[in-house]
Amino acid sequence: MSGVLLWVVCPKGNAAAASLLGLGGGKLGRQQRPGRVRVAAMSSAVANPVARTSEERVYEVVLKQAALVREQRKEREKAAGTDGLSNWDLLNEAYDRCGEVCAEYAKTFYLGTLLMTPERRRAVWAIYVWCRRTDELVDGPNASHITPKALDRWEQRLNDLFEGRPYDMYDAALAHTVSKYPVDIQPFKDMIEGMRLDLKKSRYKNFDELYLYCYYVAGTVGLMSVPVMGIAPESKASTESVYNAALALGIANQLTNILRDVGEDARRGRIYLPQDELVQAGLSDEDIFRGQVTDKWRSFMKDQIKRARMFFDEAEKGVVELNAASRWPVWASLLLYKQILDAIEANDYNNFTRRAYVGKTKKLVSLPIAYGRALVGPTSTKVAELTRI
Amino acid sequence: MFCSGRILAVSYPTKPLSCTCRSPHSFSGAGFRHGRPKPPPAYFSAKWRLMASEPDSSSSSFAASVDSDSPDINNASSSAAAAAAGFCIIEGPETVQDFVEMELQEIQDNIRSRRNKIFLHMEEVRRLRIQQRIKSAEMGILKEEQENELPNFPSFIPFLPPLSSANLRIYYATCFSLIAGIIIFGGLLAPTLELKLGLGGTSYEDFIRSMHLPMQLSQVDPIVASFSGGAVGVISSLMVVEINNVKQQEHKRCKYCLGTGYLACARCANTGTLVLIEPVSTLNGGDKPLSPPKTERCANCSGSGKVMCPTCLCTGMAMASEHDPRIDPFD
Repeated sequence: MSGVLLWVVCPKGNAAAASLLGLGGGKLGRQQRPGRVRVAAMSSAVANPVARTSEERVYEVVLKQAALVREQRKEREKAAGTDGLSNWDLLNEAYDRCGEVCAEYAKTFYLGTLLMTPERRRAVWAIYVWCRRTDELVDGPNASHITPKALDRWEQRLNDLFEGRPYDMYDAALAHTVSKYPVDIQPFKDMIEGMRLDLKKSRYKNFDELYLYCYYVAGTVGLMSVPVMGIAPESKASTESVYNAALALGIANQLTNILRDVGEDARRGRIYLPQDELVQAGLSDEDIFRGQVTDKWRSFMKDQIKRARMFFDEAEKGVVELNAASRWPVWASLLLYKQILDAIEANDYNNFTRRAYVGKTKKLVSLPIAYGRALVGPTSTKVAELTRI
Repeated sequence: MFCSGRILAVSYPTKPLSCTCRSPHSFSGAGFRHGRPKPPPAYFSAKWRLMASEPDSSSSSFAASVDSDSPDINNASSSAAAAAAGFCIIEGPETVQDFVEMELQEIQDNIRSRRNKIFLHMEEVRRLRIQQRIKSAEMGILKEEQENELPNFPSFIPFLPPLSSANLRIYYATCFSLIAGIIIFGGLLAPTLELKLGLGGTSYEDFIRSMHLPMQLSQVDPIVASFSGGAVGVISSLMVVEINNVKQQEHKRCKYCLGTGYLACARCANTGTLVLIEPVSTLNGGDKPLSPPKTERCANCSGSGKVMCPTCLCTGMAMASEHDPRIDPFD
């Protein structure tokens, strides 16, 4: 369905974009899913503004992010560094705690952050902790107490911390991060919106809906982390394309998660696969709940994996444009996550009972490979012009 | 049960009995499982569909009705029900103000009556759980908890298989035979065979000499030597046990607040007070010393310096269920 990818030139100053920015949707649902850098693959022509696909709407968010980065850069030069936090001890302690939480809940991700510069590492931890706390509101031990009011209050806290008035110490770490890096509030708001939606939904009619969900839980994290990772100064690629690549990486990661955890999710009564594609492949919810690997299932999974790989390929185009210091960890995470798809294939597409697992040795071997690929810098002008939007 | 039912009927006159019966459940919610979102309990889902379908104004009016109810001290019970229904896991600076209009004596009375109710509720939960267990056993429903009749818990000593009552026998047997074997070896075998366990089959004295250690070491009294060796062994194994115990307890505590249940308030940086900065003109009165800055109570945390940890809801435990032994009488 998303086989056709068309790069389109979106009209600037699209007033409708602003109204569509309050898009809902996704959820960091699965517990140990940290954020990653991602990019959206664009499709569909602009000629039909009424029936917007999720991809278009998400793309507009991406455009706005890129535009904001440019604005913020100017503002930042004017405004002096005023972060309401003058208590450095508390701040350092907060950051350390963020690191501990990250190490506790997402070990591989934590190891990946150790490949970054210390400043970026702390910033990524702060973002991770906020995302994880948001996720735990709907998916943690107190999920039974969650109400829309709680999410509203949580969003209010987010607004406050972006204005430099954090509520507790973890908010303080994030507030400091957003004052140092040009991170925008919109992806955070989208993630909360995603939590709201995810509480209602357990089935996805088509890939469009699933894409929106993936944007909400994972794409937003990519948009959050691009300003932290930083774009290489010598990069000729447009900001939008890098954000797009980040979005694609997030979508790819989330799709990989989904494909790996089909059995686990089914046991909880949730199916994160597009219903229409299931029907097309001759499968039903019952087949998934039954958990038997048939030839139909194999061919269905093959297509799904192919699509996930396409998103990874999209993402790879953007990783080269990142700051030199950030390329290694991002490549490492990309390669590691891509290997999960290989593991699913190696399990004979049995994601019902067997968990696709990348062994430690394979993980370790990926590190030097990632390092090698990270040495490749931004593309030259000619190539950039060819691939630019 | 009948008694408590009557108490409920008396204390919640304004709400229908069926509604109030459900409200405690929304809190004890059977089993706080750390996992995927499960459908919220019936009470909440009904409420929530109501909220979701109506526009924002209704949800805010609901919130308003909660706030207006709570200072209604005459009908403390209805406010309790309303406050329970309006409970929001994310607190804001205004939540502590819910009871601001009460007098001190009233506050104390309220606290006492609520603690009483908590005690009665927990007692009911205990009895209900007993009934639940009995009934499901009668109906032959195999619950996962029944497998925990003989719980399997990890051994304190690293690398050893998990313990259970059946296993324990094997542990005892292994332990005793090891001790017996070592005693026999040390007491009988070694002297009989005149084992020289030093490097290259040397005796103790030769070993000391070859290591160039002071010769008085070779004259150590055997009793002293064995006592020291034994004591060192015991002390280090006790340490290992303690460390494992600490690790286990750490597992259970909330990682965000490290078991304290609270996080440092960011507005006042954990002090509880905000310093009011007033610009002081130094044009006139330049020889007067600056007065110390005025402080005011931090509104965020109401002066306590810490705020509720939203992950564990101030319980400090990773799973924020009530850790009261009455919750599971079969444990």
